[in-house]
Amino acid sequence: MPTPPESSPSSALEPENKTAAEVVYEGALPRIQRSMLVLAFLLPLVASFWLSWRTGLGLALGCAVAYLNFFWLKRGVEGLADRIVNAGQPRSGKGIVARFLLRYVLMGLAAYGILTVSPASLYGLLAGLFLPVAAIACEAAHEAYVALARGL
Amino acid sequence: MRKLSYLFMILSALCLAVPAFAQGGEASTVNWVAITSGFAMAIASAVCGMAQAKATAAAAEGLARNPAARPGIQLALILGLALIESLALYTLVIIFAKVK
Repeated sequence: MPTPPESSPSSALEPENKTAAEVVYEGALPRIQRSMLVLAFLLPLVASFWLSWRTGLGLALGCAVAYLNFFWLKRGVEGLADRIVNAGQPRSGKGIVARFLLRYVLMGLAAYGILTVSPASLYGLLAGLFLPVAAIACEAAHEAYVALARGL
Repeated sequence: MRKLSYLFMILSALCLAVPAFAQGGEASTVNWVAITSGFAMAIASAVCGMAQAKATAAAAEGLARNPAARPGIQLALILGLALIESLALYTLVIIFAKVK
């Protein structure tokens, strides 16, 4: 008598046959993070050449804070989803909430530090905090291109 | 006819009130930009917090009802939370630009 194939709880929840559109959308989050890294490298360089090195430094710091903020946001949402569907390693709810709150503390500390050290680069820091928005805009443009080019 | 008389009465009252508008007082020393900036930041933070709570609650409910839809819901929640946070940052930037 053939035995049924073993399946993990997480794989049982995922559909086996994925369409091309689903494959494209599944890679959205890694693409956004890669876009953030590329923009975090390029934008401070451009700002340093065009404006001043202080603005570039502030922009780099803002990009770093924004990337960490986005990373912790992703981890927090994954932990929340794990708790809801009872998958993965169980994490404490306090830890998830503390990580959510620590993001704001980090952003406040970075803004306070750069405001006291060099107020001129504050605008760079504020601009750097919009890194996720720029990366999401890049992803939207990429998905629009893919949809038009491949007809997904 | 009665409506017309009321209209003329109101107009005459306004004409009498015009000199009152011309009375100059002392120059206002209240920094209204700072006060309204504080209110704007408070309102933006409160509304963004409510929006994040609503988005998270809806995503949690959707995940509990349909765990198979986790990848889509998770992606939408992460992007939604990031964009909602950026709205509060827009307000902060405008405040920094206006209050110097």
